[in-house]
Amino acid sequence: MASILVIEDDDIMLKAVRNILGKDGYTILTAKDGKEAFDKLENETYDVVVTDLMMPYANGLEVVSRLRSDETKRHIGIIVISSVGNEETITEAFRLGADDYLKKPIMAGELLIRIRKLLSNKNSSSQLVTRKK
Amino acid sequence: MWKDLIDLLFQAYEQFSLLPLFIEIALAFIFIAILSTLVAYSAILYKRYRAYIYDKRMAYISPKIEDMITDQVLLNPNLGMDIPLENIEFDEQTLSDKMYRKPFVRQMLIDTLISYRKNFRGEVGDLLRKLYIDMGLEKDSFGKMKTLRWERKIKAVVELTQMDISISDVTILPLTNSSNPALRAAARNAYIQLSKNEPFKFFDIATEPLLPWDQLEMFKIITTTKDIAIPNFSRWVSYSTNKSIVSFCLKLIAHYDQQSAIPAVMDLLANKDHYFRADAINCLGKLSAEVAEDKLVKIYNNQPLNCQIEILQALGRIASGKHLEFLKSEFLYSSNFDIRMNAARSIIKHNTQNSRLMVEELMEVTDDENQLIIKHCLNPLIKY
Repeated sequence: MASILVIEDDDIMLKAVRNILGKDGYTILTAKDGKEAFDKLENETYDVVVTDLMMPYANGLEVVSRLRSDETKRHIGIIVISSVGNEETITEAFRLGADDYLKKPIMAGELLIRIRKLLSNKNSSSQLVTRKK
Repeated sequence: MWKDLIDLLFQAYEQFSLLPLFIEIALAFIFIAILSTLVAYSAILYKRYRAYIYDKRMAYISPKIEDMITDQVLLNPNLGMDIPLENIEFDEQTLSDKMYRKPFVRQMLIDTLISYRKNFRGEVGDLLRKLYIDMGLEKDSFGKMKTLRWERKIKAVVELTQMDISISDVTILPLTNSSNPALRAAARNAYIQLSKNEPFKFFDIATEPLLPWDQLEMFKIITTTKDIAIPNFSRWVSYSTNKSIVSFCLKLIAHYDQQSAIPAVMDLLANKDHYFRADAINCLGKLSAEVAEDKLVKIYNNQPLNCQIEILQALGRIASGKHLEFLKSEFLYSSNFDIRMNAARSIIKHNTQNSRLMVEELMEVTDDENQLIIKHCLNPLIKY
């Protein structure tokens, strides 16, 4: 089953997202800030990263930017969840390479569907690459 | 023993009264200082002790509450099964746990549910609301509404609003006009969010002012609340005696581009209060009310500076081109710098063939200072 890193500084939200995704059978790891997230991303491989934007040490946009600029981690799917809903931030997140953006309050079902879709898109594109080779 | 103590105090007083006056005053000051320090330290210690006890209780209870919400709501097996919300039942045994009868725990439960509701909507959000109702927590919130302490009333109003529980007009309407500014603001914001048909009904009875900060908060709520019924705000512009309500309505009229309100706003041009008139002129400009242009120019000479500047700005926003000559004469002959600056900006804002020719002509005939003003206004980086 796919492994997901959830980065969120709000304890309640972190626990909730972990439980919701865990219920669907994913392997969930969590980080409470950008620094902890970078450590975990350094040592482990993930299929999807679900990140908040406003966090201590390093914000979500820095996480997105670092993942996209690293050759070995470029394939990881990124979903941003944030209460920030202004146009500039959303477009900036997509410009940096986020795959999806959910504005809080979120719908649990929607998050699950978007993760499933993201994973299936990644799978089909990787199959296509293998076939071409 | 008491007798000895009283004797001792008497002796001390006798000795004190024999001392010179300045020594007596100094001693009194020392005594008061020591006493104040002791009281202050005791208060700090007591508060810290209470905070320590609270944190300790939180650390013990909080995980239990979160686990309960996770089991009953987030991991509820009926979620995502298309089962109507009213048919989803919670585990009775868990909900009737003795722990959840304690007021302290119940308050914590409410706070936690609100935190979850801020993060989740949809089915999970609705189920959190159901849990709040099924556990009778809404009664706790309504109970808080009956207390005399305003901070508890605010807490109750916020809780009920966050949980989308409607509050009867009889209860909330008087609070929207409370003399306490914080309570008044909370109640007004709640009324807008909770009232489905007439969210601005409290404007009718509001006698207390709508403070500038409250206007900002309210504007944010009005523009971000979904499915809010937006009325024609000219109703309050015409009839309200509350100046801050009228001023706020003018801003809302401009925001929602309520063209039908133009006649009501134009009536305000005859108002005695020049701040009011300035707000009305600003609103007419933002509505691009071409019908008001002639009247604005007509009253221009009788207005104070703030209204004159608003008129010049309004003419730039309306930009019909009918009063370019008026703007030109104000730019050329006014002795006031702000007037010249706003007149130049309004001419440039027209952005028509005529206005561009006029700017070129002014650049040739006018003095150095006015040329600088025009160059400044032509700079696209300087926003108007």
